[in-house]
Amino acid sequence: MPRFLREYFNRNGVGLGSIMLGLVLFWTIGLIILPQLSMLDFSFRPNLPPPEIGGPKDLYTLENYKYLIFGPEGGSQDYNAVDLKVFYRTLIAAVLVTLFNLMLCYPIAYYLAQTNGNHIRILALMLIIPYWINEILRAFALRIIFGESGVLNNLLVGMGVFDTPFDFIRNDIALYAGLGYAYILLMIFPIYNVIESLDRNQIEAARDMGASWTRIHRRVVIPYAKPGISSGCTMVFMLSAGALAAPQILGGPSSLWFTQLIYQQFNDNSDWPQGAAYAVVLLVTCILLVLALMRVFKVNMGDIGK
Amino acid sequence: MKNFSLMRISIWVYLAIFFAYLLGPLVIMSVTAFNSPSFPRAAPWECLTFEWFSALFQDERILNGIKNSILVGLGTVTLSVAMGLAGALMLTQIWPKLRATYYTIIIAPILVPGVVIGISTLVFWDRVNRMLGLGADSFLSSGLFLTVIGQSTFIASYCMLVLVARLQRYDSALTEAALDLGASHAQTFRKVLLPFMRPAIASAAVLAFLASFENYNTTTFTFGEYPTLTIELAQKVRYGITPAISALAFIIVLLTVFAALFNEAKIRRQELVAAARKTATVEELETGKLRLPGFLSSNTAAVLLVVVAMATIAVVGTATVYSPAQCIADVKETKRLETELRIQQLRERRAQEAAQREAEQGANAPATDTAPKPSNDSGFGNVFNPGTLQDGGTETPEEEPDNSGDSSGSGSIFAPSNLQSN
Repeated sequence: MPRFLREYFNRNGVGLGSIMLGLVLFWTIGLIILPQLSMLDFSFRPNLPPPEIGGPKDLYTLENYKYLIFGPEGGSQDYNAVDLKVFYRTLIAAVLVTLFNLMLCYPIAYYLAQTNGNHIRILALMLIIPYWINEILRAFALRIIFGESGVLNNLLVGMGVFDTPFDFIRNDIALYAGLGYAYILLMIFPIYNVIESLDRNQIEAARDMGASWTRIHRRVVIPYAKPGISSGCTMVFMLSAGALAAPQILGGPSSLWFTQLIYQQFNDNSDWPQGAAYAVVLLVTCILLVLALMRVFKVNMGDIGK
Repeated sequence: MKNFSLMRISIWVYLAIFFAYLLGPLVIMSVTAFNSPSFPRAAPWECLTFEWFSALFQDERILNGIKNSILVGLGTVTLSVAMGLAGALMLTQIWPKLRATYYTIIIAPILVPGVVIGISTLVFWDRVNRMLGLGADSFLSSGLFLTVIGQSTFIASYCMLVLVARLQRYDSALTEAALDLGASHAQTFRKVLLPFMRPAIASAAVLAFLASFENYNTTTFTFGEYPTLTIELAQKVRYGITPAISALAFIIVLLTVFAALFNEAKIRRQELVAAARKTATVEELETGKLRLPGFLSSNTAAVLLVVVAMATIAVVGTATVYSPAQCIADVKETKRLETELRIQQLRERRAQEAAQREAEQGANAPATDTAPKPSNDSGFGNVFNPGTLQDGGTETPEEEPDNSGDSSGSGSIFAPSNLQSN
């Protein structure tokens, strides 16, 4: 038995130590690493009926990835314009939702973190309550509001802003509002946690020296809150790019989200390898984007999730 | 100073807008649960009704979904709290060189899209199942197992974060002391570490259950023959929405508000009691005459809790004796009258138009003396005959309420009012 293992069992006892080790190994290897590798492997295989899996036809192929870029073989177009457009649109929209959430949440997080008083606790409670409600129900609530005969349309038509009801769903406004709505809390809390630990004397010192509000935020608060901001942005971006419920409920009939394509490949076309390939593309692109941004803003992975 | 108060006002306005965005949708959704139209809407208000609640409790699929959700939730809580605790303990002991890598691995599932976790779980266990030579109905391919496994993958990470925060304040000298005094490792774990961790374990379990209950992205790939409540809701919302869903949402909102207020009131109460003890004199403490503050004093959450509880009791009380039948009948009657009025107007307008056209017709073709009294075999006679229209007009109201698929020209004209009467 190697020394570190013996030390480990000495410290934790044999029974307890092996239960702990077993659980951790099951989680990290059995639930996290192997399934991802298995999905990666699967995405390089052709779509075969179950009896032929592992047979002579089961060879590695790039077919599924080619399909995303070039479309079906012998198709009329050079590129798979439909799917690529959906992919591109999903990423852009996720970035926009993230920026919108950041702008919306930064003042709130700053206010909550730097103000004292009893009302802050009630405000925090009001923040958390929507987050406990089912994601589907939150999307449903927005659909009631943004629908053709919804509250917002009634209001706007009643006030005379529009003559006819405006189709928020077809124009994707409902979708963006829904995605922003779903992940507000994940943006607020990381920023709040960081700003709360900022010494208020720093802000006061800056103000005493004559700095304007914008300057205080730009030079003191934002640099200090950077880990929280990047952590919040990462979470919101990943979750909105990977969202499925909100696009299904609030998305317009003509506009798809990339996860919906994956869902279709799995459930409607029964083409698992194709779906797995799309999932890998989504995962890898998102991770690369996030890593690139973290490099640009000089933030570490360890700051995420704090 | 003026500048300062302007700032204050703008902060409050911003807060108001923000919380309207956050809570407004939930309030409006809750309101629609009590309105009688079968499409969930808050305005125009028609009748206060509780029928959507009874519709909800008679829905087999919803009830079955709740049962499955609880089943999945229990499994997920057990597995993910256990794995989260083991993972957190391991984090404090692991080789420093490996720590960063290990932390990245166990934190990654939070960032990986739920869709990807669902797919990888499905693909991986399908392969394991095939390698073991088990059939399609084995335990490893059952929806319950896959859903619990898939959800635990990332929910365990949440639990780990909650538990690590508490574990960092643990003094490992306590464990050593227990071991020195002759306790076994299992005893130390059970009697020293676990009691210390209990609050964190409780909050991790609640968090895990909530996360499991509301998860959609992962579950939608793995649920198999165990559709959870969220899955059922998503199906319903995607293919036609009814206020029964609002009713369910209202119940969930209410439960959440209760839980949150209760928790908040408890914490505040503990703080107040602690503060009272701190300021008390020794004599007061010894004689036991210390007067603790009342449950409701300077405890906003507790006051709110009582108010919400009273309101709920009042609403439930009203629901048992209240019958909206009269109001619904009234609304129906109003609508019928409205429809009739509209038909009447339409009919008059058409008669006018017809008369006008007839007059024009008469003016344009004065040579033909058939014009004032058209005979049936003339080319346009029937079309302009006011009598024909009048007949069509009187017939339509009888057909109209239950015949939306009417293919005749007049049927489609009445379509808007048709929709409204439904």
